[in-house]
Amino acid sequence: MIKYHPNQDLLTLHAKGELPLSLSIAVSAHCELCPECAEKVAALTIASSEESFSLAQLSTDNGNMDEVLDTDLEALLADMMSDDTLESAAINLLPAEDTAPTRAVTNIKGQDYTLPWAFRQQINNQWQGIGKVSRLRLETGEAKARASLLHIAENGEIPQHSHKGEELTLLLAGEFSDEYNTYTAGDFMVLNSEHEHSPKTIEGCLCYTVVDAPLYFTKGISKLLNPIGELIY
Amino acid sequence: MENFQSQSVQNRYDKSMLSKNTKVIDTAMKSDDTDKNEAQYLAQLMEQVANQRSKAAFAKLFAHFSPKIRAFGVQRLSQQGLAMDLVQETMTRVWTKAHLYNADKAAVSTWVFTVMRNQCFDMLRKVQNNREDAFGDDIWPLFESDESDETDNDFKLSATLLKHVDDLPPLQKQVVQGIYMQELTQQELADKLKVPIGTVKSRLRLGLEKLKGFMEKHYD
Repeated sequence: MIKYHPNQDLLTLHAKGELPLSLSIAVSAHCELCPECAEKVAALTIASSEESFSLAQLSTDNGNMDEVLDTDLEALLADMMSDDTLESAAINLLPAEDTAPTRAVTNIKGQDYTLPWAFRQQINNQWQGIGKVSRLRLETGEAKARASLLHIAENGEIPQHSHKGEELTLLLAGEFSDEYNTYTAGDFMVLNSEHEHSPKTIEGCLCYTVVDAPLYFTKGISKLLNPIGELIY
Repeated sequence: MENFQSQSVQNRYDKSMLSKNTKVIDTAMKSDDTDKNEAQYLAQLMEQVANQRSKAAFAKLFAHFSPKIRAFGVQRLSQQGLAMDLVQETMTRVWTKAHLYNADKAAVSTWVFTVMRNQCFDMLRKVQNNREDAFGDDIWPLFESDESDETDNDFKLSATLLKHVDDLPPLQKQVVQGIYMQELTQQELADKLKVPIGTVKSRLRLGLEKLKGFMEKHYD
């Protein structure tokens, strides 16, 4: 039974596609394990599609700038319809039958783990570690976020680390517990430096973790990318 | 003469006012219907694109969605040129992935939104990190709950179920297989087995109850 879920803000930003990759992976993977949140995201997606598309309606209704732009769209359509652009795109974009995408599988300490869809192209590094703790770093290309898979072998302890800001942990497989609770696959936890606990695992576990500056957890990708975005929103 | 003319202008004006007002009332009252009609119309177009590769239908979808996609792109990507790229990339995918659209799962506009959002996510990463990766469709699979999880689970479920059908007593097994795998009607099966239809019904009921028992045990 999953007890910890991403909050409404994170789910909303995820539905809009405004979270950075590291967090999008976390929310997406959680939703694959949690039908309840998957349903919420589906509803939020409908809401944000309506919101985005109706906003667009308003902005195209005024001004004569649009006439010029409509010519642009007209030209683009004509371009796409001619020269078999669509046909060749169909050939290029469709995966061949035998390369239909499958979930990524990673092997650590003799155990295979099938990972959620979001990890499909993310497992490019090797596992590294000493003793019971192994880490596989993801390359999300984000300057501030450090995203990794963390594996703790049976009867291991999750290492304590000091950092400022917040850490997201998504339990993907296995279990661990601390003095407060026992966590199961799918549990999605955001902890800050004030939380002190010493989690232990009996049967072993696989987690996805993002260590990050707090800013990332509350703001969308477009706002980080574009300072003008701050003024618009 | 002069009078007549001015009156006619007045009339025209009244008429246009009137029709405008009626239109406003119409939209207010019938907006639900209009939405539904529009949704159905878009679904028809998608179906023509998916099944008949209709370029005429595609052009209509393009006319409907491209201004919306561009406006979204201008807002999200803050560059006119990138917004046009987003229109092109999104609409190209609408064409190539049309067969993944499932009218039972989502409205066309929601589906186009997801295609656009995924594409925009990758474009933002490109602008921000200069990365040419395509992760959007992994994070929000377009065939979501279509080919992925549900099918997997269904598949596992039917595999388990099939195994248990073999465990049924022979007469019950025969009936369950006849109805559910060979898709015979109860009457056809009764004729084939040369038993009354009541017997088929009761064997089927017993067999299904037993299967239900197997499955419940299996999942507890």
